[in-house]
Amino acid sequence: MQFTIRTGIRRALMAAVMGVGACILSGGALAATPADTLVIGKPADPQTLDPAVTIDNNDWTVTYPAYQRLMRYKQVDGHGSTEVEGDLAASWSASPDNLVWTFKLHDGQKFSDGTPVDAQAVKQSFERLLAKKQGPSEAFPADMKVDATDALTVRFTLQKPFAPFLYTLANNGASIVNPKAMQRDDADAWLSGHTAGSGPYQLVSWQKGQSLVLERNPNYAGSKKPTLDKFVVKIVPEASARRLQLQKGDLDVAEELPVDQLQALKKDQAVHVAEFPSLRVTYLYLNNARGPLQNADLRRAVVAALDYQGIVDGIMMGQAKQMRGPIPEGMWGHDADLPQPKQDVAAAKALVEKAGGVKSPLLLRYSTQDPAWEPIALTVQANLTAIGVPVKLEKLANATLRENLGQGNFDISIGNWSPDFADPYMFTSYWFDSDKKGLAGNRSFYANPQVDQWLREAATLSEQAPRVALYKQVQEQVVKDAAYAYLYQKNYQAGLGANVKGFVFNPMLERVFNVADMTK
Amino acid sequence: MNVSWLSVVRRRLASLVWVVVGVSLITFAISHLVPGDPARLVAGDRATPEIVAHIRAQLGLDLPLPQQYLRYMGQLLQGDLGTSIRTHRPVLQDIAAFFPATLELALTALLLATLLGIPLGVLSAVYRNRFIDHIARTLAVTGISTPAFWLGLGLIVVFYGKLGWLPGGGRIDQGLSPPPGITGLYLIDAAVAGDWVVWRSALEHMILPALTLGFVHLGVVARQVRSSMLEQLGEDYVRTARAYGLGSWTVVVRHALPNALIPSVTVLGLALGDLLYGAVLTETVFGWPGMGAYVVDSIQALDFPAVMGFAVVVSFAYVILNLLVDLLYRRLDPRIREVG
Repeated sequence: MQFTIRTGIRRALMAAVMGVGACILSGGALAATPADTLVIGKPADPQTLDPAVTIDNNDWTVTYPAYQRLMRYKQVDGHGSTEVEGDLAASWSASPDNLVWTFKLHDGQKFSDGTPVDAQAVKQSFERLLAKKQGPSEAFPADMKVDATDALTVRFTLQKPFAPFLYTLANNGASIVNPKAMQRDDADAWLSGHTAGSGPYQLVSWQKGQSLVLERNPNYAGSKKPTLDKFVVKIVPEASARRLQLQKGDLDVAEELPVDQLQALKKDQAVHVAEFPSLRVTYLYLNNARGPLQNADLRRAVVAALDYQGIVDGIMMGQAKQMRGPIPEGMWGHDADLPQPKQDVAAAKALVEKAGGVKSPLLLRYSTQDPAWEPIALTVQANLTAIGVPVKLEKLANATLRENLGQGNFDISIGNWSPDFADPYMFTSYWFDSDKKGLAGNRSFYANPQVDQWLREAATLSEQAPRVALYKQVQEQVVKDAAYAYLYQKNYQAGLGANVKGFVFNPMLERVFNVADMTK
Repeated sequence: MNVSWLSVVRRRLASLVWVVVGVSLITFAISHLVPGDPARLVAGDRATPEIVAHIRAQLGLDLPLPQQYLRYMGQLLQGDLGTSIRTHRPVLQDIAAFFPATLELALTALLLATLLGIPLGVLSAVYRNRFIDHIARTLAVTGISTPAFWLGLGLIVVFYGKLGWLPGGGRIDQGLSPPPGITGLYLIDAAVAGDWVVWRSALEHMILPALTLGFVHLGVVARQVRSSMLEQLGEDYVRTARAYGLGSWTVVVRHALPNALIPSVTVLGLALGDLLYGAVLTETVFGWPGMGAYVVDSIQALDFPAVMGFAVVVSFAYVILNLLVDLLYRRLDPRIREVG
């Protein structure tokens, strides 16, 4: 009888195994990506596709190629540039006081449904952006007026000069939306899940949490000549799985891979790791307005105590460049003459002594939003302990950390920053103007009336040369004041299939792919 | 019997109201106790205080807490779970997109755990302390103690990376369209539509995540079945049946097993709740487009409507599934039927 049981069980098991096995071995489970399609693997679904709402570069992967803007970032000698050129705009001019900007649109531009892109569409897009008062509107003057003076001419009237204005028009928030979509009863909900632009690609399907498919916009009349018929954004949350799918050819591009995985990928012939210096910087906020770090000598001691090279080599595995001052290399206005900060323990100790020492530990608050922050926090703690400054680490949820940063409840904290528009304003006025204290940008709560004056003057000038001179003064002063500790600008890295050609990284558009120029 | 059956259903459905009120109240309280400003998260760090205040008012977050809760419950009564702060879409629409994937994975994992766990438990009991029992017990303990994350990655590396037999993630092949949505469960929808290409693709994509998720519960089920089976095999009626000359197979499968399975039904009911809530890691590893990633992202973004919507929907599903388990329990155990 035991034989019977065994036989029965064996038969059942064999049937089960054969069923699954037949399914597995019948093949077809795996397929390389089609030749006319670029498949980009990302860790997370977009949140919203509404250009007037999204402030997340992860969403821009989809929105940027689906919409056009008046201006776009240039490509110079096959490299991404922070300079801008016309996209929908054929020409433009500014009044002598820089308050009135007039743009002439290219004729014959169309949205994906064939509706012409005219001055009314531009006017309505900006009016909607400003009326919605969401994150992207922050980059534009709130009191700006937009008028369509004729079918192809649009006029912006500013209340006060705003030097970076032209650059803001290449920002994702400045996308021109089809008026038909904006007039829908459910416009907000619809635009969060669809695209309605005139860019080279348009969204045709979105399987939530799984993939987004974009196809060529048949009505696109811009200067790019897209080769690929489709591009697909595939959501693969796990980094190891993204890497494996790239190696197996199921992805053409894998984004957001950890540094160690990228190092491993470099040995694979079928894959190419693209690396570019980015404008995304990592730095320490030193609370100028509270506790022991109100003393500039103590802040200077912190700056002198840090092991910058160790952080770049050890934590970032060399995939970063140490900063000199607030404006990173690659952004105009960067001051290459500023001295490179170096670890100098003896000088740091002397500065601590001069400041009268530190009795209670400094509070370093951080989150794990960026995997590098925790090792940085530990390094800072070790470096400062070595000069006689005790540090207490406190790890918080990112939302909680934000709350504390806004209220200035910390002595030291760690942050990343990337610019919304290609102007040194992003790294100076935001960081040092005493009107922007807190989360808005001045997270060290720095205040210096002289710096405020220089910054406000620079923001009104249209000529670049006098602005550069003012920013040079600002940088020298804030470095002297040790307002922040500047760590590094990170390299942008992505894994690409060896057959993928034409990817040009633009430091203003991290996580955006120039799909219209790419081939495979 | 019918009256009693109906009264159980009625009683359970009435209790559902309290469950929803309780779950929503607790989730609401916890969500609002967490420090952090969702309006700031929506607006972005650089937004001016005016923009943040505008968004706060738009989301109704400037109202007193009791008023916010009452407003939420008022909407809930009309079947409206609110609008997600993060995705700007109705929460119900988001959940309708993600929940079926989680449910399909949980049900398949449970099916696997049951189909493999019960025979394993029976074998283990029948061959107590023999080689097969040791193997089965080792498997069960391994199942309970293996982290899903590690097992999932291991399976991907072997079956996708090395052997290339199964896909490395997702729900169906890129390029295939999902079957027409009747239940949202691809295996069922594709079968109903007669689209066997999609069905096979859905099955291939299901195997590894369901194995990963089911493996933990396989151990629980196998251990439960083994212990109740051992208890039943020592009972007088089993000895009597054997004394009457019934074959071992008949005694085990026809007489002892049904009785041994009664406690296992409870375990399976609880396991399903666990599977619904606990699929996050497995979903992440396999890029399974379920509720896991949606809820984790929502929690990080302090997206209260989404988190509360998830809690309400899952509790609802949990109560309904447990009701079904109870009804099954009554069917299996006449003693419960008599008590009512």
